[in-house]
Amino acid sequence: MWTAIGSFLAHLVSADNPLWLYYPLCLVVGLVYKATKFDTPKKIIRAALHFFASVTAGMFLLGLVLYLVSAFL
Amino acid sequence: MTGPVTNNRSPVAALVLGWIVPGAGHAYGGRWGKAVLFFVCITGLLVAGLVLADGSNILPRRLWYAAQVCAGGPAIALTPISQYMATRGPVDWADPLHEMGTLYTAVAGFLNLLVMMDAYTRLAYPHRPGDADEDKEEAA
Repeated sequence: MWTAIGSFLAHLVSADNPLWLYYPLCLVVGLVYKATKFDTPKKIIRAALHFFASVTAGMFLLGLVLYLVSAFL
Repeated sequence: MTGPVTNNRSPVAALVLGWIVPGAGHAYGGRWGKAVLFFVCITGLLVAGLVLADGSNILPRRLWYAAQVCAGGPAIALTPISQYMATRGPVDWADPLHEMGTLYTAVAGFLNLLVMMDAYTRLAYPHRPGDADEDKEEAA
């Protein structure tokens, strides 16, 4: 299982993975979305970073679970 | 951010202006800081998506265009460029960079839809809960 997790993480950070392009997209979405909800720059930036971190972490966890399921079934 | 101007401002005008130029609805309402932020983010996303796809992904005959055109003026201005680039050679729609570029442009459209609705509601319902109310709740 650890080999599968290592393989998954290695693929995540490989340079040829277009997933890198997801990060700026997620940041901009978080920034615009939170700017419609809050008025002060400090709150907007904090909420946008929270949005980015939670969406990215959730996506990684979901990806890891799906990868492990596909690797062992 | 700059303070809002709500007196005698039409919410519908803010909605339409926000479609023509992303962020213009907020500028119309006196929120210049947010207007600049929205314009830079949405137009930047649209242009970045077009560059990623070699300029050939904002095409009216594709279903994606329904989302892209929500970005308004910039999307419509970029359409002829995209149509010209698409005629220069075969378009590889399955290329990951092309797919990501198309996603960027579609998300830019959806974000502008959200920004347009925000500009409308800020003028139509000026007393909606905001930061000031949240600060009062936190202090209580």
